[in-house]
Amino acid sequence: MRKYSFLWMLLPAFILYSVFIAYPFFSSLGLSFYDWPGIGPKKFIGLANYKNILSGFMSSEFYNALWHNVVFFIWSLILSVVPGLFFAFLLAANMKGTGWLKVVFFFPNTLAIVVVGFLWGLLLNPQWGLINQLFRVVGLDFLAKPWLGDTKTALPTIIFVTAWRGLGFYILIYLAAILGVDREMIEAARIDGASELQIASRIILPHLYSIIATTSMLKFIWTFNIFDIVYAMEGTQGGPAGSTDVLGTLFYRIAFGGLGASQVGMGLGATVVTLIFLIVLPVSIFYVFIVEKRVEKGE
Amino acid sequence: MLKFNGFQKVLAWIFLLLLAFANLYPIGIMMLSSFKSTKEIFLEPFNLPSVWRWQNYVSAWQRADFATYFKNSVLVTALSIVSIIIVSSMAAYVIARFDFKFKRGVYLYMLAGLALPTRLAIIPIFLIMRNLHLLDKLSGLVIVYTASGIAFSVFLLVNFFKNLPRDIEDSAKIDGAGPFRIYWQIDLPLLKPALVTVAMFNFIDVWNDFFFPLILLSSKAKKTVPLGLQAFFGEYTVEWDVLFAALNISVLPILIVFLILSKQFIAGLTEGALK
Repeated sequence: MRKYSFLWMLLPAFILYSVFIAYPFFSSLGLSFYDWPGIGPKKFIGLANYKNILSGFMSSEFYNALWHNVVFFIWSLILSVVPGLFFAFLLAANMKGTGWLKVVFFFPNTLAIVVVGFLWGLLLNPQWGLINQLFRVVGLDFLAKPWLGDTKTALPTIIFVTAWRGLGFYILIYLAAILGVDREMIEAARIDGASELQIASRIILPHLYSIIATTSMLKFIWTFNIFDIVYAMEGTQGGPAGSTDVLGTLFYRIAFGGLGASQVGMGLGATVVTLIFLIVLPVSIFYVFIVEKRVEKGE
Repeated sequence: MLKFNGFQKVLAWIFLLLLAFANLYPIGIMMLSSFKSTKEIFLEPFNLPSVWRWQNYVSAWQRADFATYFKNSVLVTALSIVSIIIVSSMAAYVIARFDFKFKRGVYLYMLAGLALPTRLAIIPIFLIMRNLHLLDKLSGLVIVYTASGIAFSVFLLVNFFKNLPRDIEDSAKIDGAGPFRIYWQIDLPLLKPALVTVAMFNFIDVWNDFFFPLILLSSKAKKTVPLGLQAFFGEYTVEWDVLFAALNISVLPILIVFLILSKQFIAGLTEGALK
């Protein structure tokens, strides 16, 4: 047994991770079969929670929020990949004096999401916010509107603010991937007369597919973490009129109450979690195997 | 890599500067507004402050009880980072250096934490904390942050451990040093740059986190900065001068750390993400 005496050093991380990260996901599955407000005895109700959420009284709220997560994912994917690649390519030309731009681009990422939400909430204030005043000054009065107060524009606005914060992260990742492409291949193409655009699109871009794929998978998974930005800009209700409600805020209302929760229950909340988990799990497993394979190959 | 001609360079610079402006302008406005009066913010939003009103900061600091929030945030962040580093580096050392049954399984199992929306685990976490009487305790938060920082930190550190030269270790082994001594006296000092990277990422995550304190804390005396900020915004909705000052106060520590360490930070980010 002395041979394995080093294993104790693994234990603290293993135990903490198991108890507070791994176990809760399975424990949620167990809780989802119960009706339980959080204290007192649990009542086993079989699949009733699932029925209520998927086709019962909670279903319209659930699908509404789920749809917003989907919209959120698709748009923030587009808003990170397209400008992310574009600016990464511009930085990849390694022009003199562009080093500081990386720091600037990344900076919004270091701000707390609630800080970003509150800041943009003030900037987007319909009356006194800077954004609308700016639109009025330059004569685009029709754009000066209550962006966060209109059911049509509220979600797009939140998605935009999230993209504003996150873009720099993707630029830097894509830039690093571009710089990792074999230089000789690029030189050879250049000697063969390829234009810079052709080099970027035909030679470099194909090498970026795998990093785009993994960042997209992470983005998909993290989409289900979205909570702070909606909370800070539109409150726990995901207002106006539920137009920005996401699974994170819905789940928060169900499990931990708050004003205007249509139903409070740990069991019901755990059911929402389990359903999200079922959506995310295949992607998570796929992601972990890809990353592990890449690490193995890199050695 | 790419080579631009003169015209392309001009065009590239225009786009790059536009994005830099879009990034900096809202933050600049936040900083300038924090020195104005509310009336000035409303009526002269684009101008520099006519008088630099430092009293906005004094007033925000006192009214929001930022002293308490800062003390709590500093305590939680510092303790979390230290325990994440100790726990994760030991685990990474074992995974990178030793062979044992189920090693690959254990590693994959921990990697999975990278790809889970950890917030969804909050109901059982809340219940565990309640059973342990750690609700509304800063130590409860530290435990949760340590657990949720493990996956990413172990992942980064395993890669760094694998790149360490093994010959010093081997000679130490011959001299009879045990695994822990090798880890503690030889590897950790060599790993300092990697530990700085891990500390920075976790600093940003923990300092900025809003979700776990929202669920796990309840009393005013325990609030961390983001949670205190939220309470402040709920209370003083119309006094924009102190609101902007409060935003700046909460951002300042991150700003300082980031500006000092931005180079290491960007290097660590790209290295970690590309692996």
